Amino acid sequence: MDSMVRNPDVKQRDAAQAVVVAVSSDAIFDPEVEQVHGATEPLRKGDAFSFMKAIQVVNERLLTLNSDETLLFDVILLSNDSEEKHSRIIASAKHYGLDIGRFCFCNKEDSIESLQSNNVKLFLSTDTNDVCKALQKGVPAALLYRQTDPHHQTEDQLKVVFSGDVIGSSEEMLHGLREQGFTETQLQGFKTAKGSVKEFAVLMGEMRRRFGLEGSPLCTGLMTVWSSRDVCASALKTLRGWGLLVDEAFCLAGAPRSPILNLVRPHILCLDGLYHMEGFTAMS
Amino acid sequence: MTESKTTGPTATEAGEERDWAAAKAFFDRLKTNKPKPPKPQYAVTIAISSRSLFNMVAEGKIYKEDGVEKYVAYQQEHDNEPLMPGVAFPLVKALMNVNARLRRLYPPDSDELFDIVLMTNNHAQVGVRLINSINHYDLTIERFCMTGGESPIGYLKAYMTNLYLSTDGEQVIEAIEEGIAAATTFASGDVENQLSDTQLKVAFDGDAVLFSDESEIIVKQHGLDTFFEHEKEFENKPLAQGPLKCFLEALGMLQRKFYAKNERMTCPIRTYLVTSRSAASSGVRVLKTLRSWGLEIDEALFLAGAPKGPLLQKIQPHIFFDDQMFHIEGAKELGTIAAHVPYGIGQKYHKGIFIEQPAKDTT
Repeated sequence: MDSMVRNPDVKQRDAAQAVVVAVSSDAIFDPEVEQVHGATEPLRKGDAFSFMKAIQVVNERLLTLNSDETLLFDVILLSNDSEEKHSRIIASAKHYGLDIGRFCFCNKEDSIESLQSNNVKLFLSTDTNDVCKALQKGVPAALLYRQTDPHHQTEDQLKVVFSGDVIGSSEEMLHGLREQGFTETQLQGFKTAKGSVKEFAVLMGEMRRRFGLEGSPLCTGLMTVWSSRDVCASALKTLRGWGLLVDEAFCLAGAPRSPILNLVRPHILCLDGLYHMEGFTAMS
Repeated sequence: MTESKTTGPTATEAGEERDWAAAKAFFDRLKTNKPKPPKPQYAVTIAISSRSLFNMVAEGKIYKEDGVEKYVAYQQEHDNEPLMPGVAFPLVKALMNVNARLRRLYPPDSDELFDIVLMTNNHAQVGVRLINSINHYDLTIERFCMTGGESPIGYLKAYMTNLYLSTDGEQVIEAIEEGIAAATTFASGDVENQLSDTQLKVAFDGDAVLFSDESEIIVKQHGLDTFFEHEKEFENKPLAQGPLKCFLEALGMLQRKFYAKNERMTCPIRTYLVTSRSAASSGVRVLKTLRSWGLEIDEALFLAGAPKGPLLQKIQPHIFFDDQMFHIEGAKELGTIAAHVPYGIGQKYHKGIFIEQPAKDTT
């Protein structure tokens, strides 16, 4: 059971046409704030703040190009917080002028169902395990990349990076993983994740095409962490086939990823299940 | 200038070790014939731009005349057409040969190898053609950064780059300012030398390349006589480091791996110092400086002011580094692959005459 509250300060998008994105309230507002009963001042900014601002820039530019544009970001704030915090969340969103269309309040156990019933195109969280769990259940999800230095993240361009190790691996290669000790559950998890990523990639491709190569408020990228260059090339072509022509590409071939990610500075990192190796053993 | 790669332990290092172990496991599971790329912190990393690696002169023209959209579209249309080899191509083949020799001598897990990274600010869609071209020539380049227009300088550091080669002089200057050994490559001249395919040969100028420009400043501002006196007086005082000193050091590290296996005579890396200093006087300080750094150079050639072109033509290096465009042009005229190190006082002079602007590199 969830309760959906529309935000009166924000023009409602056509949810059928928009890119509906659900963001965990713990990412937008700092959850470490001490719960003082009756406190009314705005909540502190969380990790997803620059992401929220960047989304706004993209929406504004899209509307400038076409005032009737329906392919816009439509943000739902997903909160598992206690009822007494609800009005404070809504007030904080208003205080910061955040482009949040709806607030969805529900229990943690019901979150996945809420996401599924609201036609969410992407669920965003800073927690890798939450993202992987959602992906496994067929809910498209991506990681809100936590910058080591939040002040360095840009607010005037939204950067979406896709992880390509599974996208770029052939059916044969993935099949071969079975012999290498990966379980059926894991392999099925890859397939499901790949399907979810595809849907979002198609939308991003379409949105990206609204802008030219230079000066775009939306920047897309591809990164392969483990695989060889051929897998990265294959991922590039696969994404191209889905209509997404990424701007940037990185093939790490096993090099440490944090230094590179800290330079790439994505807001959203679309995992394909293989990115988080630790989560592997947890998923089986 | 570039510091040694090993740094103190940090919170992320444990995580990265796990990443590395996982990557290794993944690669092993794939059972490919390709060797796993080495760990950046132990490898000698050479970052090369797409225009240094491949000949993209025709494409560059499209970019300049028709703009980025037409350029990217053109590259996409020609995805499957391999690009022609560029100026750094022979160098890459020579590096690959050294790696092959090292892999035969040392266990497959060893990370002390050359690691070649493609570092380009090209758009990722151009990347497909670049990767297809790399495949066509079967080059061992597993890592790349295509930054879609952004400066690649930050990524150089992230990959712990030992040497950066690019056709973009401004990016090379930026890299040197960040303490990374770098040089600007140019399109080949009309004449091309026959290069060895069994031995990597790297030639360096001395002042403002291996060493700082402190002595060159004296020449430019006070003349040769003062320079000779000064060098004699300070013979025993080591010169300060130049931008490419650490790269020579990295080459020396790999050379010693061959010496350790009794392959000194057939070592596939040979280094040369090609300097305008003279052996009799000003040259001594240079040799003593190298010794004080614990660095060896295989051949030191003192020209006492004679042109470098003919000598380089005999040596036939895969690359020659110099800070003065005058020497670069002389080398190119006689078929040597020469790369410009835009560092020091030499940039304010052209052909011995002081100019307001640094000499522009013409491609």
